[in-house]
Formats: sequence, C-alpha cells, structure tokens
Amino acid sequence: MPPSAQAAATAKRSAPVQAHVVAPVLAPPQAPVQALARPQATPPLDLQSLEARLKATQAIGVFTKLTLKNQIDDLLAQFRAYYRGQLKVTLTALRQSFDRLVLKVLALLQDADPPLAMAIESSRESIWGILSNPAKFAAV
Amino acid sequence: MTLCTRPWGWLGWLPTLFAMPCAAADDPALRKDLTSALALLGTPCGQVVQATRQRDNDHLVTCQDGHRYRVFLNEQGRVVAQKR
Repeated sequence: MPPSAQAAATAKRSAPVQAHVVAPVLAPPQAPVQALARPQATPPLDLQSLEARLKATQAIGVFTKLTLKNQIDDLLAQFRAYYRGQLKVTLTALRQSFDRLVLKVLALLQDADPPLAMAIESSRESIWGILSNPAKFAAV
Repeated sequence: MTLCTRPWGWLGWLPTLFAMPCAAADDPALRKDLTSALALLGTPCGQVVQATRQRDNDHLVTCQDGHRYRVFLNEQGRVVAQKR
C-alpha cells in the first residue's frame, strides 16, 4: 500500500477513536451535575455552640465582645417589641438590622478566626428562620 | 493604693498633685480591642493610638484622628464611649 494510502487508512481508523476520545471530554458528565443540582443540606443549627465559640474566640477582645453582646441584646429586644406590636417597623427593616450585625461579626472574625466566621455565615439563614418566626423566637 | 499612686520614698510629703493615674503598659491587644469596640459603636476614631487605664473596665483613649474618649462599662453592663 502506498504511504499516502496507509496514512489515509490510519487517519480513517483513528478518527472514530479520536471522536470517542473527544466526545466524552466534550460531553458534560451527567452524574456530577446531578449531584451538584441537589440542594446542599443545611447543617443543623447549634446556637449554644456558636455562642460558646464566640465567647471563647481569641479573635476579638473583651470590650468588643461586650459591645457585640449589647448590640445582639438590643436586636433581640427589638424583635420582642415587634412581636408585642410595640415597635412600628417591618420585618424587612429588622432583617436589615440583622444582616448589618452579622456583617459586623464576620468582619471582626474573618481574618483571625475564619472557621467561626464560616460557621456563623452558614448559620445565618437558620438563625433568621428562628428570629422571624414568633413561635420559634418565643422558645429561644 | 496602686504602685502608680504610691508616694516615692522621701517625696511622700509632696501633694497629690504629683500623683499620676496608673497608665496601662503599651498593650497593642488592648488598643486593637478598643479600636474595634469604638468602630462597633459607630464613634469616629480610626485607630486607638493610646489607651490609659483609669480603673477596671475604664479607659481614656486617644484616637489617630485626634478624638479622645472615655470607654467604660456602665452599671447596666453596656460599653459606653464618652467624648472628652
């Protein structure tokens, strides 16, 4: 067989192989996408543990911890007053206050105690779920 | 009476005019703590450059921007910053 014919035959044989090789690479894998599409399970909220970690963290000093505690207590007092009908604010406004406070906490912790910052960030919606539910809030 | 206010030897007869408040040793951790606390309180400060302890949980603070505050814990357990 002449070399050109040989080369053509080789190319012909390898084309389907190349296609088979290329196709799986180009085709998006199904199983991993399905796994990613499944919603991530929210870790169970452990408020007591978060509180204990916040009290114990070396990332912030005593005055900062006390100031944070004051502001958390103030926010909780706002929620109590809201559920008693004594505070003329919307839940949206309380959400903004909550988000601002969480942001302050994260800003204080993110450099010196990243695991605690991540734990608080990942608990944000669970904590809001408690605060925004009168029955759950009353049980806290 | 603390070491900082105890009369020094034979100078003890001098009036208390010469008694100095007990200044905290230069503590970067304390300055950082007070800087964060003032930032949380929303008071203009920038950075605490000097912190002088007056008594437990009571400090006179000088900020980078020139502001001075008394930062202390009141009877209700609240951190308060009073402008000086």
